[in-house]
Amino acid sequence: MTALTNKLFLVVERDIRLFFQYKFLIIMRGIWFVSQIVLFGLIASRMVSVTDYFQYYVAGLSVMMLYSTALFIGFDIYEEAEHGVFEYLLSLPVSRRQLVLGRSIGGGLRAFIYVGPLIGVALYVIGAVNPLNFLIAFFTLFLFAFGVSGMSITIAVIIKSSDRFDILMGVLDALIVRLSTAMYPLAIVQQANPFYGGLTQLNPVSFASDLFRWGTGLEAIISLNNPLAPLLGIVAFFSFFTFVGIIIYDKRIEGGGWQ
Amino acid sequence: MAIISIKDLTKTFGNTAAVNHLNLSIEEGEIFGLLGPNGAGKTTAILMLATVIRPTEGTATVGEYDIRKNPDKVRALLGIAFQEPKMLWVSTPWDIVNFHAKVCGLSTQDRKRKVKEILDALEMWEFRHRTVHALSGGMRKRVEIAKILIQRPKIAIVDEPTAQIDVVGKHKIWKMLCELRDQGSTIILATNELYEADVLSDRVGILHRGQLIVCDTPKKLKDSIPGGDIIDIKLEKEVTAKDIEALKDFEEVVDIHQPKPDNLRLHLNKVEEVVPRIMNLLMKKNMPVSSIRMSEPSLDDVFSHFTGLTIEEAQKGGA
Repeated sequence: MTALTNKLFLVVERDIRLFFQYKFLIIMRGIWFVSQIVLFGLIASRMVSVTDYFQYYVAGLSVMMLYSTALFIGFDIYEEAEHGVFEYLLSLPVSRRQLVLGRSIGGGLRAFIYVGPLIGVALYVIGAVNPLNFLIAFFTLFLFAFGVSGMSITIAVIIKSSDRFDILMGVLDALIVRLSTAMYPLAIVQQANPFYGGLTQLNPVSFASDLFRWGTGLEAIISLNNPLAPLLGIVAFFSFFTFVGIIIYDKRIEGGGWQ
Repeated sequence: MAIISIKDLTKTFGNTAAVNHLNLSIEEGEIFGLLGPNGAGKTTAILMLATVIRPTEGTATVGEYDIRKNPDKVRALLGIAFQEPKMLWVSTPWDIVNFHAKVCGLSTQDRKRKVKEILDALEMWEFRHRTVHALSGGMRKRVEIAKILIQRPKIAIVDEPTAQIDVVGKHKIWKMLCELRDQGSTIILATNELYEADVLSDRVGILHRGQLIVCDTPKKLKDSIPGGDIIDIKLEKEVTAKDIEALKDFEEVVDIHQPKPDNLRLHLNKVEEVVPRIMNLLMKKNMPVSSIRMSEPSLDDVFSHFTGLTIEEAQKGGA
């Protein structure tokens, strides 16, 4: 491993370790996930006429969990700014690019590591796996997590107030998750309102949810004829927020905008 | 040889110049005391040198690298222990020092041994797995210092290294900083504790309102105060006006007071050189000395002399 990648690896490793130090949060999120499956999922699926809605919901829940966990990196940035740790990170013998890229990867990877076992639970509940499709879906979830992490970093460095970030994340979560196919099929959203349907089709959470269902063999419900479109959507989302995030973060750091 | 050359370094926040056209050279292998009250611009100057914040104007060369053009290379030479310990509350001393050692390139075997050695020396080994939340201010400060001690950088910047630390701990850290210097590191010691700067620094620069007021060795700075040295002499006989006139003939004697007929208080320069000559004169005049007490000026006096304010006054708002 070269010194360059070694430093990048250390930044990634730091973010992963840091996340797992928040034990209370991790346990609570895990409990929330399981309760959503065994309470809400089981009960709601009895009220819904969509075939296999329970499996459908569990797959969407996994993506929602991945999304909300990958967002935590933005909160970490505020926490670090508040405790002065950001100044410390900037004083280290690590280049700005390594620092920024490392944080983006770390934020996504730790979400993936954390949600991985929960996805395992989801797979057990869904019960069907097409190995090849699943590998592709798994890879796109990986990119999705990095994209969300990059998005969180981008917003965190643009908005200087942690309170505003908190509120904006709440609003974004409401809009992005609810205007997606994480909880309900696209056809039903389109029936409710064609405009909502249009937005839902372009939502990265929809791309990730649909691909995950396709990977786990639930494509009958989502009628996903061509997985390439959501796959490209995820790649575009990942590329935009990873690279735009890096550029904005880099500029903010050099310009002292974090102060 | 100068390892750091600062040229017109300036940082403004809005209309306020935190550091105002700072020019300074720091020699390789010295402990350089950067003195000044809170708000004088020490921390801002340090953060610019460490490439954490960008200067508004001017630049500095660290080693052979310009802080604006080669910040990555500058950071590879520097280590910094911040004034306020920079750590998250969920972290532990072990995590913090171990991560720092890793980033600074220590091998796994070396790292484990040195983390233990340094946390032990700072009496933090026992508390290595406690979260920062459960550590006292002094303990957090020790962890901050541990980063520098494990890194052993070419240039170590320590900002108020012994704030919140007890007297025994202070002496231990001073000794460690001197050892670091003796092993080849150049140390920039930013402090508002004038005694600390006096004890440790090879040279001292006084910052006031973002500007460097004066810079030299502590001894030369103290000697530069006219009449800064004071000696109180108690004689076995009463002193006459003629005796006082004879003492005034020494060019180092700036002023003489006679609080009691057999007591003299002399304000003078270069006390070590002139006292033996004064003693000889008094012996010749058959005026036995029953006691003598000497006090030399401190860096507080130097600060007051050059700024017109005591450090406390400057701290309250003069800075």
